[in-house]
Amino acid sequence: MSGVGLRRLLETAVTQGVTEARARIFGHVLNPTGQRSPHKLLRKKLIGDKVSQWYPHDVTKDDPLVMAAREQERLSKLEMLKRRGKGPPKKGQGKGAAKRNKGK
Amino acid sequence: MWQDEPKCIKDHNRRLLAEKFELKRNLYKAFIRDPELPSELREKLTAKLSKLPRNSSFTRIRNRCVFSGRPRGVYEFFRMSRIVFRTLANQGMLNGVKKASW
Repeated sequence: MSGVGLRRLLETAVTQGVTEARARIFGHVLNPTGQRSPHKLLRKKLIGDKVSQWYPHDVTKDDPLVMAAREQERLSKLEMLKRRGKGPPKKGQGKGAAKRNKGK
Repeated sequence: MWQDEPKCIKDHNRRLLAEKFELKRNLYKAFIRDPELPSELREKLTAKLSKLPRNSSFTRIRNRCVFSGRPRGVYEFFRMSRIVFRTLANQGMLNGVKKASW
Protein backbone atom coordinates (compact mmCIF):
# COMPACT_ATOMS: atom_id res chain seq x y z
CA MET A 1 0.00 0.00 0.00
CA SER A 2 2.67 2.47 0.95
CA GLY A 3 4.66 0.90 -1.89
CA VAL A 4 1.93 1.94 -4.41
CA GLY A 5 1.89 5.48 -3.00
CA LEU A 6 5.65 5.70 -3.19
CA ARG A 7 5.61 4.49 -6.77
CA ARG A 8 3.04 7.09 -7.71
CA LEU A 9 5.10 9.76 -6.01
CA LEU A 10 8.15 8.71 -7.98
CA GLU A 11 6.16 8.69 -11.23
CA THR A 12 4.90 12.23 -10.76
CA ALA A 13 8.36 13.44 -9.75
CA VAL A 14 9.90 11.92 -12.86
CA THR A 15 7.26 13.25 -15.31
CA GLN A 16 7.36 16.71 -13.77
CA GLY A 17 11.08 16.77 -13.96
CA VAL A 18 10.96 15.75 -17.59
CA THR A 19 8.45 18.47 -18.53
CA GLU A 20 10.40 21.12 -16.67
CA ALA A 21 13.62 20.08 -18.32
CA ARG A 22 11.95 20.13 -21.73
CA ALA A 23 10.62 23.61 -21.11
CA ARG A 24 14.03 24.79 -20.02
CA ILE A 25 15.71 23.38 -23.11
CA PHE A 26 13.23 24.55 -25.72
CA GLY A 27 12.10 27.77 -24.07
CA HIS A 28 8.47 26.69 -23.58
CA VAL A 29 6.31 28.63 -21.13
CA LEU A 30 4.79 26.30 -18.54
CA ASN A 31 1.53 26.84 -16.74
CA PRO A 32 1.04 23.84 -14.45
CA THR A 33 -1.64 25.50 -12.30
CA GLY A 34 -3.62 26.51 -15.41
CA GLN A 35 -4.09 30.14 -14.37
CA ARG A 36 -4.85 32.84 -16.91
CA SER A 37 -1.72 33.56 -18.80
CA PRO A 38 -0.79 36.40 -21.18
CA HIS A 39 1.33 33.93 -23.09
CA LYS A 40 -1.79 32.59 -24.80
CA LEU A 41 -2.46 35.92 -26.48
CA LEU A 42 1.14 36.64 -27.27
CA ARG A 43 1.44 33.29 -28.98
CA LYS A 44 -0.95 34.24 -31.77
CA LYS A 45 0.33 35.26 -35.16
CA LEU A 46 -0.15 38.83 -36.34
CA ILE A 47 -2.82 39.21 -39.01
CA GLY A 48 -2.84 42.99 -39.54
CA ASP A 49 -0.98 42.77 -42.79
CA LYS A 50 -3.38 40.35 -44.43
CA VAL A 51 -6.41 42.17 -43.08
CA SER A 52 -5.39 45.52 -44.53
CA GLN A 53 -4.95 44.02 -48.00
CA TRP A 54 -8.50 42.83 -48.49
CA TYR A 55 -9.54 45.42 -51.09
CA PRO A 56 -7.33 45.34 -54.16
CA HIS A 57 -5.84 48.58 -55.32
CA ASP A 58 -7.86 50.02 -58.18
CA VAL A 59 -5.49 50.69 -61.09
CA THR A 60 -7.71 53.37 -62.57
CA LYS A 61 -7.06 55.49 -59.50
CA ASP A 62 -3.51 56.18 -60.66
CA ASP A 63 -4.72 57.63 -63.93
CA PRO A 64 -5.71 61.31 -63.45
CA LEU A 65 -7.56 61.48 -66.77
CA VAL A 66 -9.86 58.65 -65.91
CA MET A 67 -10.51 60.10 -62.47
CA ALA A 68 -11.29 63.50 -63.98
CA ALA A 69 -13.70 61.94 -66.46
CA ARG A 70 -15.48 60.07 -63.69
CA GLU A 71 -15.75 63.16 -61.54
CA GLN A 72 -17.24 65.06 -64.49
CA GLU A 73 -19.81 62.36 -65.02
CA ARG A 74 -20.78 62.44 -61.39
CA LEU A 75 -21.18 66.21 -61.39
CA SER A 76 -23.20 66.25 -64.60
CA LYS A 77 -25.48 63.54 -63.25
CA LEU A 78 -26.00 65.59 -60.09
CA GLU A 79 -26.77 68.65 -62.18
CA MET A 80 -29.35 66.78 -64.23
CA LEU A 81 -31.12 65.67 -61.09
CA LYS A 82 -31.06 69.17 -59.65
CA ARG A 83 -32.56 70.52 -62.84
CA ARG A 84 -35.44 68.13 -62.50
CA GLY A 85 -35.76 69.06 -58.85
CA LYS A 86 -34.57 65.68 -57.58
CA GLY A 87 -31.25 66.64 -56.05
CA PRO A 88 -30.34 66.17 -52.38
CA PRO A 89 -32.36 68.39 -49.99
CA LYS A 90 -30.85 71.13 -47.86
CA LYS A 91 -29.44 70.25 -44.49
CA GLY A 92 -32.21 69.67 -41.94
CA GLN A 93 -34.92 69.26 -44.57
CA GLY A 94 -34.65 65.60 -45.42
CA LYS A 95 -37.17 63.02 -44.21
CA GLY A 96 -35.21 61.80 -41.20
CA ALA A 97 -34.02 65.23 -40.12
CA ALA A 98 -37.51 66.73 -40.43
CA LYS A 99 -38.97 63.98 -38.28
CA ARG A 100 -36.28 64.49 -35.69
CA ASN A 101 -36.82 68.24 -35.54
CA LYS A 102 -40.57 67.94 -35.45
CA GLY A 103 -40.45 65.44 -32.61
CA LYS A 104 -38.22 67.77 -30.60
CA MET B 1 -14.91 48.37 -58.60
CA TRP B 2 -15.81 49.65 -55.23
CA GLN B 3 -14.62 53.22 -55.38
CA ASP B 4 -18.01 54.82 -54.96
CA GLU B 5 -19.19 52.81 -52.00
CA PRO B 6 -18.82 54.85 -48.81
CA LYS B 7 -19.23 51.77 -46.64
CA CYS B 8 -16.37 50.07 -48.40
CA ILE B 9 -14.21 53.12 -47.93
CA LYS B 10 -15.00 53.22 -44.23
CA ASP B 11 -14.25 49.54 -43.93
CA HIS B 12 -10.95 50.07 -45.68
CA ASN B 13 -10.06 52.84 -43.23
CA ARG B 14 -10.89 50.56 -40.34
CA ARG B 15 -8.63 47.90 -41.74
CA LEU B 16 -5.74 50.30 -42.04
CA LEU B 17 -6.22 51.51 -38.49
CA ALA B 18 -6.45 47.99 -37.18
CA GLU B 19 -3.20 47.11 -38.82
CA LYS B 20 -1.57 50.19 -37.35
CA PHE B 21 -2.62 49.57 -33.76
CA GLU B 22 -2.63 45.82 -33.74
CA LEU B 23 0.62 45.24 -31.94
CA LYS B 24 -0.09 47.73 -29.17
CA ARG B 25 -3.58 46.42 -28.70
CA ASN B 26 -2.45 42.87 -28.35
CA LEU B 27 0.22 43.83 -25.85
CA TYR B 28 -2.19 45.77 -23.63
CA LYS B 29 -4.78 43.08 -23.73
CA ALA B 30 -2.24 40.43 -22.86
CA PHE B 31 -0.88 42.37 -19.91
CA ILE B 32 -4.33 42.99 -18.51
CA ARG B 33 -4.99 39.30 -18.37
CA ASP B 34 -1.83 38.51 -16.43
CA PRO B 35 -2.83 37.76 -12.84
CA GLU B 36 0.65 38.31 -11.48
CA LEU B 37 0.95 42.01 -12.24
CA PRO B 38 -0.11 44.58 -9.63
CA SER B 39 -3.69 45.70 -10.01
CA GLU B 40 -2.99 49.46 -10.41
CA LEU B 41 -0.83 48.66 -13.38
CA ARG B 42 -3.60 46.52 -14.80
CA GLU B 43 -6.15 49.30 -14.34
CA LYS B 44 -3.85 51.76 -16.01
CA LEU B 45 -3.50 49.40 -18.93
CA THR B 46 -7.25 48.90 -19.24
CA ALA B 47 -7.60 52.69 -19.40
CA LYS B 48 -4.98 52.81 -22.12
CA LEU B 49 -6.69 50.06 -24.05
CA SER B 50 -10.00 51.89 -23.91
CA LYS B 51 -8.29 55.04 -25.22
CA LEU B 52 -7.26 53.35 -28.44
CA PRO B 53 -9.47 54.42 -31.36
CA ARG B 54 -12.53 52.28 -31.71
CA ASN B 55 -12.00 51.74 -35.38
CA SER B 56 -8.78 49.92 -34.72
CA SER B 57 -10.58 46.88 -33.42
CA PHE B 58 -10.65 43.78 -35.56
CA THR B 59 -14.22 43.07 -34.59
CA ARG B 60 -15.35 46.19 -36.39
CA ILE B 61 -14.13 44.96 -39.73
CA ARG B 62 -16.52 43.29 -42.09
CA ASN B 63 -15.42 41.22 -45.05
CA ARG B 64 -17.31 42.95 -47.82
CA CYS B 65 -17.50 41.85 -51.41
CA VAL B 66 -14.69 43.43 -53.34
CA PHE B 67 -16.82 44.03 -56.42
CA SER B 68 -20.22 44.98 -55.12
CA GLY B 69 -19.62 45.90 -51.48
CA ARG B 70 -22.14 43.36 -50.24
CA PRO B 71 -21.57 42.65 -46.56
CA ARG B 72 -23.30 39.30 -46.48
CA GLY B 73 -22.84 36.11 -48.41
CA VAL B 74 -19.18 36.85 -48.99
CA TYR B 75 -16.73 34.01 -49.37
CA GLU B 76 -13.39 34.78 -47.78
CA PHE B 77 -11.47 32.70 -50.28
CA PHE B 78 -12.74 34.69 -53.26
CA ARG B 79 -13.45 38.00 -51.50
CA MET B 80 -16.66 38.09 -53.51
CA SER B 81 -20.31 37.87 -52.76
CA ARG B 82 -22.16 34.82 -53.92
CA ILE B 83 -23.90 36.73 -56.72
CA VAL B 84 -20.75 38.16 -58.26
CA PHE B 85 -19.09 34.79 -57.85
CA ARG B 86 -21.82 33.15 -59.82
CA THR B 87 -21.71 35.67 -62.67
CA LEU B 88 -17.97 35.52 -63.00
CA ALA B 89 -17.71 31.78 -62.70
CA ASN B 90 -20.33 31.27 -65.39
CA GLN B 91 -18.42 33.59 -67.70
CA GLY B 92 -15.33 31.52 -67.10
CA MET B 93 -13.36 34.37 -65.54
CA LEU B 94 -12.44 32.39 -62.44
CA ASN B 95 -9.55 30.11 -63.11
CA GLY B 96 -10.21 26.49 -62.33
CA VAL B 97 -13.80 26.98 -61.21
CA LYS B 98 -16.45 24.99 -62.99
CA LYS B 99 -19.87 23.67 -62.17
CA ALA B 100 -19.70 20.69 -59.89
CA SER B 101 -21.33 17.43 -60.84
CA TRP B 102 -20.41 14.09 -59.48
